[in-house]
Amino acid sequence: MLHSHESGQIRHHEKALLDILDTLPSIIVRVDRDGRVDLVNRRFEQLSGVSAADARGKLLATLIPQFAGQLQQVAEVIDCHAPLTNERIQSGSGADLRYYSLQIYPLNSGAFGMAVIRIDDVTEHVRIEEIMAQTEKMIMVGGLAAGMAHEINNPLGAIMQHAQNIERRVSPTIAANLKAADEVGVSLELVRDYLEKRGIFEFISHIRSAGVRASTIINNMLHFSRRSEVRLETVDLAVMLDRVLELAASDYDMKKVYDFRNIKLVREYAADMPLIAMTMEMEQVVINILKNAAQALSQIGTGSFPRIILRTRPDGDKAVIEIEDNGPGMDESTRLRVFEPFFSTKDVGVGTGLGLSVAYAIVTNGHHGTIDVLSQPGQGCNFIIKLPIQGRNL
Amino acid sequence: MSAAEISILLVDDDEMIRECICAYLEDEGFSVRFAASGEEALETIAAIRPTVCISDMRLPGMNGVVFIGKAHLLCPETGFMLHSGLAYSLSDELRAIGMTADDVFLKPIHELSTLIKRITEIAAAGKKS
Repeated sequence: MLHSHESGQIRHHEKALLDILDTLPSIIVRVDRDGRVDLVNRRFEQLSGVSAADARGKLLATLIPQFAGQLQQVAEVIDCHAPLTNERIQSGSGADLRYYSLQIYPLNSGAFGMAVIRIDDVTEHVRIEEIMAQTEKMIMVGGLAAGMAHEINNPLGAIMQHAQNIERRVSPTIAANLKAADEVGVSLELVRDYLEKRGIFEFISHIRSAGVRASTIINNMLHFSRRSEVRLETVDLAVMLDRVLELAASDYDMKKVYDFRNIKLVREYAADMPLIAMTMEMEQVVINILKNAAQALSQIGTGSFPRIILRTRPDGDKAVIEIEDNGPGMDESTRLRVFEPFFSTKDVGVGTGLGLSVAYAIVTNGHHGTIDVLSQPGQGCNFIIKLPIQGRNL
Repeated sequence: MSAAEISILLVDDDEMIRECICAYLEDEGFSVRFAASGEEALETIAAIRPTVCISDMRLPGMNGVVFIGKAHLLCPETGFMLHSGLAYSLSDELRAIGMTADDVFLKPIHELSTLIKRITEIAAAGKKS
C-alpha cells in the first residue's frame, strides 16, 4: 500500500515537472556526453518539428543543425563541470532572421555525465537593444548638436546675413549707396554691371543657399537632443496632414527631386482624430517621410502610377498615421538602417541622411511614440507612426 | 510711420550678430541702438523708449525672457521680439504681454527681410493703438 502510494506521488511529481518544462518559453533538452537526446520539452518539438519520441537517442546536432557548432561544446561542459553560454546566435536571414541564446549546463545529480541545453529566442530582446543603441547614438549626436548649435548659428548667421548686406549695399534703391558711390566717384550702375558680368551676384547667392543648407543640418540634429522647449498642443490629425500636403506641394527641395503634383495622393483619414503633440515637429516628421517617398517614387519607371496613401486610425490610446507609397521598396538591410543618422542610399548632396532619423527622434524622444517601416523590394514602403493620443507622459 | 520714425534696440552679446543685423536695419532706414546684455539694455530702453526691441535668448546674466519681462514693465509701448538659437514656445508671461509665435526668430535668420516685415507690422499696430 505504502509502496503504491509512493509511486503515485513520484508519478505526480514527474508530471508536474514535465508540465513546468513544457510551460517554459525556453527550449530544454537533456543530452548525454555524445550529444544524444534523452529528454526534450514541448518547445523543442515546436522548433525542430521532431516529436519527443522520435528525438530520443538521436544526435541533437542533426535535429537542430543550426546550433551544431555550439553543440560541440557538450562534452567539454560535462568534463569541466563548467556551464557555457552562447549569446546572439543568428539563424535564418532577411525577414526570417532570428537570434537565439544557447546555454549548456552540466548535470551534477542523478544523471551524472549528462548536460541540459537551454535555447531561448532572444530576437525581440536583440531588436530592443538595437533600438536603444540607436536612440543613445541619437541622443549623443543631439547633445553635441545642441552644444554646437549655439557656437555655429551665430557665425553662420553672420555669413548669411552679411551676404544679404552685400547685396543690399550695391542696390541702387538705397540712397546711402548712391551717395557713397558719388563720394568716391564711381557709378553704382557700372559697379553692378561689373559684378553681374563676373558672376559675383551669383556667388553671393550661393553663399546664402550654402548657409541655409548648413543651418538646416544643424537644426535637424537639434531634434536628436532631449532639450526642447517646444510645447504640446491639441491638433486635428486630418487638418495637420492636409497642411503638410500643401507645404509639400510648394517645397522647393521636393520639386527638385519629383514634382509632387504628379503623385496621386489618397487620403484615408479616420473621422475626428484629435491628438496632443508638437505641431511643427510632427509636420516635419510627415514632410520628411513624404520627401523620402517622393524620392523613391522618382525611381519608378514611366508608365507606372506613383501613389501615396495617408491613413489615420485610432488604436487604443494611440493615434496611428500610416504613409504608404508604391515605390521600389527596400531590402531588409536598408530597412533596418533607415532611421540611423547619416545613413543614406541617395547620392552625396541629394540627401543628408538625416530626414528619417529626425522623424524617428521627434516621434520617439519628443512624443514617446513609435515609428516603424514595413517594406520589401518591389512592394513599396509603409511608414507607421503611433503616438499617444494624450501626449507624452512628462 | 516712416522707417526713420521706427527705433530699434537690439540686444545681443555677440558683436558679429549686432553688426550684421544692425547694418541691414540701418539700410532699411531704421534708427538702431544696441546693448550687449539684459542689464545694459534695461538702462538703455528706459532712455530711448524704442518702437521695437529684439533680444537674444541666451545672454550673459539674465536671459532674454527675463529681460523682456522686466523691460516691458519699464516700456509697455515697446514691441518685443525674441531671437533664439533653439526652438522656443512662448512662455505664458510673454504671451500675456502680447507676443506671438511670429515674434520668435530662430537663429540663424535666413532672410532678414522677414525681420523687417515683422518690425513694420509691430510699428503699424503700435501707431493704431
